[in-house]
Amino acid sequence: MHMADALVSPPVAAVAGAVAVSLLIVATRKVARSKRTDIIPMMGVMGAFVFAAQMINFSIPGTGSSGHIIGGILLAAFLGPWAAYLTLCSVLMIQCLVFADGGLMALGCNMINMAAMSTLVAYPLIYRPLVNYPASAARLVTVTVLASVAGLELGALLVSAETEASGITALPLSRFLLFMLPIHLLIGICEGIATGLVLAFVQRYNASLLTGATVGWGAMPGSRRRRRRVMWIFGIAALVLAAVFTWVASASPDGLEWSIEKVAGVAELAPAKVPSTAFMPDYGSHFAGIVGGVLVMAMLWAITTVIFRLRRLHHKYNE
Amino acid sequence: MSLQSALITLNSLESRRSALRIDSRFQITVTVVYLVAMLSVPLADPGRLVWMAVYPIVMAEASGTGYGRVSLKSLWILPLVVLVGAFNPLLDHSPAWRIGPVTVSMGWVTFLSICLRGLLAMQAVLVLIYSTGFYAICVALGRMGLPSVLTTQLLMVYRYISVLLQEAISMDRARAARGYGRRSYPLRLWATMVGQLLMRSVERSQRIHRAMLARGFNGSMPASTVMRSRGADWCYLLLWTAVCAVLRFVDFSAILGKLL
Amino acid sequence: MSHHYIQFTDVHYSYPGGYEALSGVSFRITHGEKVALLGLNGAGKSTLLLHTNGLLLPSKGEVNVGDVPVRKKTLPLVRQTVGMVFQNADDQLFMPTVADDVAFGPRNMGLPSDEVDRRVRRALEAVGASELAARPSFGLSGGQKRAVAIATVLSMEPDILVMDEPTANLDCAARRRLIELLSGFGHTMLVATHDLDMALELCPRAILLSRGRVAADGPTGALLADHQLLRSAGMEL
Repeated sequence: MHMADALVSPPVAAVAGAVAVSLLIVATRKVARSKRTDIIPMMGVMGAFVFAAQMINFSIPGTGSSGHIIGGILLAAFLGPWAAYLTLCSVLMIQCLVFADGGLMALGCNMINMAAMSTLVAYPLIYRPLVNYPASAARLVTVTVLASVAGLELGALLVSAETEASGITALPLSRFLLFMLPIHLLIGICEGIATGLVLAFVQRYNASLLTGATVGWGAMPGSRRRRRRVMWIFGIAALVLAAVFTWVASASPDGLEWSIEKVAGVAELAPAKVPSTAFMPDYGSHFAGIVGGVLVMAMLWAITTVIFRLRRLHHKYNE
Repeated sequence: MSLQSALITLNSLESRRSALRIDSRFQITVTVVYLVAMLSVPLADPGRLVWMAVYPIVMAEASGTGYGRVSLKSLWILPLVVLVGAFNPLLDHSPAWRIGPVTVSMGWVTFLSICLRGLLAMQAVLVLIYSTGFYAICVALGRMGLPSVLTTQLLMVYRYISVLLQEAISMDRARAARGYGRRSYPLRLWATMVGQLLMRSVERSQRIHRAMLARGFNGSMPASTVMRSRGADWCYLLLWTAVCAVLRFVDFSAILGKLL
Repeated sequence: MSHHYIQFTDVHYSYPGGYEALSGVSFRITHGEKVALLGLNGAGKSTLLLHTNGLLLPSKGEVNVGDVPVRKKTLPLVRQTVGMVFQNADDQLFMPTVADDVAFGPRNMGLPSDEVDRRVRRALEAVGASELAARPSFGLSGGQKRAVAIATVLSMEPDILVMDEPTANLDCAARRRLIELLSGFGHTMLVATHDLDMALELCPRAILLSRGRVAADGPTGALLADHQLLRSAGMEL
């Protein structure tokens, strides 16, 4: 689900980056203000843990394929939403800047899609109100599935919207969504089950970890029951909305396309795709220019190689 | 990426020293400038993108990495980019180029652009990675105004990734020794292993916390080394900004095409 | 310099679960003494060490470092006086490079940067690791990690060194170098260890801990030769 640089345009990257960074600043403030000195090493090690855990695959029952978790809900359950967001963002930054996984311009998009949706939306709105430790394993798994699905579907929605707003794909948004949403439903269910099982395991052996170190929104204030009812209503409303949305998308793709363009001004962001005149110039010479460009780049490579290698040899010789 | 290969990548990066002596802040800025220039080229115009390869070629060679390695590694991005781009040739049949008798549809032109964008963006990031260490990047980000909580966090995650990968690898080996050739875990076993790794991680963080307290830690990380920018860094920034601007606004392919 | 001593007076400690790890420990280590802390796993060695620099505070009884009682208020002072080297060097080396790690303590003490640099250089020299300064911590060998972990504490210029299993996981050569290094230090030293040979070589005095109590306290050689005592503590060789 990592977005690549190729799939975003600079304006989209800038907007997403601004949002992601503002959330990061809020998160750093919350963490700095928490007065808990142990949250610093905890976030550090948990980030490394999520990084490693993302590489351990589990087999998805009945399919013969395997998957891995992203870990947003898992982190939030241990650290609280803001610290979890910060931690997951740092993992994304390391994946980008050390392993070249997910682009640099797309980093803001990735932080929102993959980190913010699960830790700052799904966790506080779904997981937190519905789980009261100690919880049964079945309840934990049910709730993590709900939360993971919500987080991943929102993420998938945003991935589609960002790609579309960048004017990259000719695929209409509605079709893109029809392609992305079902896949992420499955991914979300797997992630949810896996996360729930891990939480159940930890709760069995050291329940204090789950109630210990969270920062912000960790403990729910009183009148839990009322709050919970609100959350149920909220969740059902979200589900109904999603169903309606999917139905509209499949029934009248053009209508949806039109309305989204109207609301977001997407059409203006996208470069013109169709030449305006019926007259078409012969692109032969231009094409030759492109081929020539490739050759020039190859020459540049050869020349720079020679120059820099010679220079280094020269340096070595002088030493 | 497997656990083992991630660990190898990590170790190989740390042992590499760049031949370049440019302040990381300027390298990051130039990378961003380049990406903005490159990604803002309209999809209908792959001709400009080809010339954008100047930056990764020169920088890969200058940093001593070699463009061969960088371009080879950048191929990893293709599957993802193709997955999204592949719809364009299927859906967009409007004619774009007439090259002699052949008409190329806009779908194929934009598809070519998307692939080029993918490769070039990946190469630019790889050049950044290979020519500065992650540590230098973090220090630079801190100097550029990122909150110290975040840079500390980045460095700590980075520091402990290798430790946890090692731990996960040894757990994985213990399983593989009894796993009868299965490669991924059944869910329940997976949860047990990841849960154990998680509890060990929390315990480790508690031990680190103690070690920090024992050395006078009071919640805020002490400031680290000071960086000073030199004239050379500014030259580097200005030069590449100029190059990026020229490559973005001058269509060398068209010019060359006319000359030919 | 009378303040380089550690005194435990009837120290009790129970973990939050209720498990009593220390039940009335008393001893005094005076200036310049090197003392080994022996005992089985679970005898309370690590718990005891955590009390020396206030990472745990006694449920009952008192710990004194020099003339200073270990309390919440005196922690900064105590932690400058008592340098603690933990068992797992990976947990002690949390900063990106060796130099940063060694500078962590002095920087927290608020020292000016040239003084920090001086201390980092001296501490690394003292453990023979000067050439490692710019290296990242995770590329180091076990012996190097241990040496650097000790340097991170030396840079705070403590008077008392407290160590948990310094020779664990070291190969023979690295262990030998470490023992020589430690015997060259003039610090007051308290070393918890399972490495009885090292205890005998490095520490003239030993304290044997058994089930949270001091089972014996005396010259290391005599203590290790007392088979009856060792048997009663479950430590028969």
